[in-house]
Amino acid sequence: MTKKQVEIVNKTGLHARPASDFVLAAKKYASNVTISKEGEEPVNAKSVIRILAEGIGQGTKIEIAADGTDEEQAVAELSALIESGFGE
Amino acid sequence: MDTEREILRGKPVSPGIVIAKAYIYRPLELHVPEETVAAGGEQEQLGIFEKVCAQAETELDELCERLGAEDASKAKIFAAHREILEDEEVLAEIRHAITVDRRNAAAAIDKVYGQFAELLAGVADPLIAERAADLYDVRDRLLRLCMGKKAKDLSALGEDVIIVAHDLCPSDTATMDREHVKGIVTETGGTNSHSAILARSFQIPAILGVENAVSLIKEGSLLAMDAISGELFPEPTPERTESFEEKRRCFLAERAKEEQYRDRPAVMADGTKLLLGMNIGGTEFDMPGTRFDFIGLFRTEFLYMEAAELPDEEAQFAAYRRVVERADGHTVTLRTLDIGGDKTLPYMELPKEENPFLGKRALRLCFDEPELFQTQLRAALRASAFGSLQIMFPMVGGMEDIARAKQQLEAAKRALSEKGVAFDPNIRTGIMIEVPSIALIADMAAEEVDFASIGSNDLTQYVCAADRMNPGTAGYYQNLSPAMLRLLSFVFAEFNRRGKEICVCGEMAGNPKAAVLLAGLGARRLSMSAANDAGVKAALAAISRKDAEDIAKRCMQMRTEKEVMEYLETALR
Repeated sequence: MTKKQVEIVNKTGLHARPASDFVLAAKKYASNVTISKEGEEPVNAKSVIRILAEGIGQGTKIEIAADGTDEEQAVAELSALIESGFGE
Repeated sequence: MDTEREILRGKPVSPGIVIAKAYIYRPLELHVPEETVAAGGEQEQLGIFEKVCAQAETELDELCERLGAEDASKAKIFAAHREILEDEEVLAEIRHAITVDRRNAAAAIDKVYGQFAELLAGVADPLIAERAADLYDVRDRLLRLCMGKKAKDLSALGEDVIIVAHDLCPSDTATMDREHVKGIVTETGGTNSHSAILARSFQIPAILGVENAVSLIKEGSLLAMDAISGELFPEPTPERTESFEEKRRCFLAERAKEEQYRDRPAVMADGTKLLLGMNIGGTEFDMPGTRFDFIGLFRTEFLYMEAAELPDEEAQFAAYRRVVERADGHTVTLRTLDIGGDKTLPYMELPKEENPFLGKRALRLCFDEPELFQTQLRAALRASAFGSLQIMFPMVGGMEDIARAKQQLEAAKRALSEKGVAFDPNIRTGIMIEVPSIALIADMAAEEVDFASIGSNDLTQYVCAADRMNPGTAGYYQNLSPAMLRLLSFVFAEFNRRGKEICVCGEMAGNPKAAVLLAGLGARRLSMSAANDAGVKAALAAISRKDAEDIAKRCMQMRTEKEVMEYLETALR
């Protein structure tokens, strides 16, 4: 299992297009990928509805975790995507 | 002679007069058999589920392609539906419900989509909560396919009809055959609902919130619709039909006359220019374009009243930001929370008061709940970094209220500055003038604020000491009474003298005759509901400033509201 803490920097948070982009990126990997807010249960990062339901706004800290053959690449790409601010 | 059927009433949200056949739109008579499948039948149900998913995908692809050419934003709705259809968790839960709980495909779809939609609907951020509607939309598509039914939509009607439906969802209105839809009647919805905005933008007469319309109106029967008064006459008598034809001709002539003013600025006969604002109450609203110069009143109560819990700063910020961005350069006047008294919140205990309208409402409540107030002020300030926004405080009763509200705003600014969060440091602040005690010291108030807006409904109520919702006192509520006119004249003069903006955002502003009178009293800014601008512009264009001033002066010397109204009827034909 690979994990990394990141902070949401883009203004809209993980809503709408950023949420879709994030899920699309997660789906490229064979590993199980989850995200979790501090102190909360992890949710499937490949489900756009689960991610929306978390209501993740700007400034929220989340943990990305992946478990599987390509877990390291998955965490690296997804955290980079969040840190890039989705081009906003 | 035939006896006429009972008149139905609703909220007219897009004006017009029309007679046409009723088209009862029941998009889906959904039948969800709630039976469990015998052991061994799971594979068959899974097969059905896979098949309807594939069919739904094909339908959505076709819709995206067809609509993409005419309107990219509509195609986006269906692209989002495809994304939902393919959602891993939803798929997994439905398969689980079929294989483990042994539900049939339709029951599994119904249950799982329902659960996920509720999950989203419970999120405090309204932008996320409203996406629950998309889940229901996809669910309904799948359930229909389970029943082997073709899409029943509004894209090919073949003849002129009035659509009668419980509600219209985004996919219905996006694909609607606009050429043949002559009217819209729904059981749900209000002035700023999706259907209302759409109806206005296509100038389709609409009456919403008509109770039991779908069961009371017969499919294919003639329906006479007065979307000015909000009345519906099912199966009209020949006399009714005739009088409607006449009304329709008058309305169309009037509209044609007004129409030439619709996209132009509001200018009086002598060239005096007024600025028109639009009143909004949610994140969805008509595009102001060239019709309106600014958003004169953005009511924020919807955020508090529609949520299951107190909306947090992020949720409010997201909504305010969307409004500011959608306003597309037009200044948005955000009114802080106007609640308490008669408007209560399900999740917040407010003390029961003897006289709610004279009680702890709006700003008074916010002063006692600093955390609630600070949260809203921070969210509003943050949105000001994304466009032109100004903040307006309701229910201001005196100079102390202005000072306290400004202190609170400064505290919110400091909190954001300390965290390095962006906002407009020169944000303009103003007040509502709706309490006589502030109206009567407008000279002093004007020195302390950047702008003010007269809430003529509440001001009238307080000046006349009459509740207009109470049938027993409605006659005492007189917004054209000489007392009101004198007070308004004083407020306009004091603000105008100091070069401070003064607007009227109550119902008077949207009434053409009252608007002329307000202009004569000194108003140069009027803010109203989205459907009222053309009528107001036409009335203003027909008179010079000098004439309007003379009329206003005469009215101020009259003895009763009745005299004023009768005089206006003859003076402003």
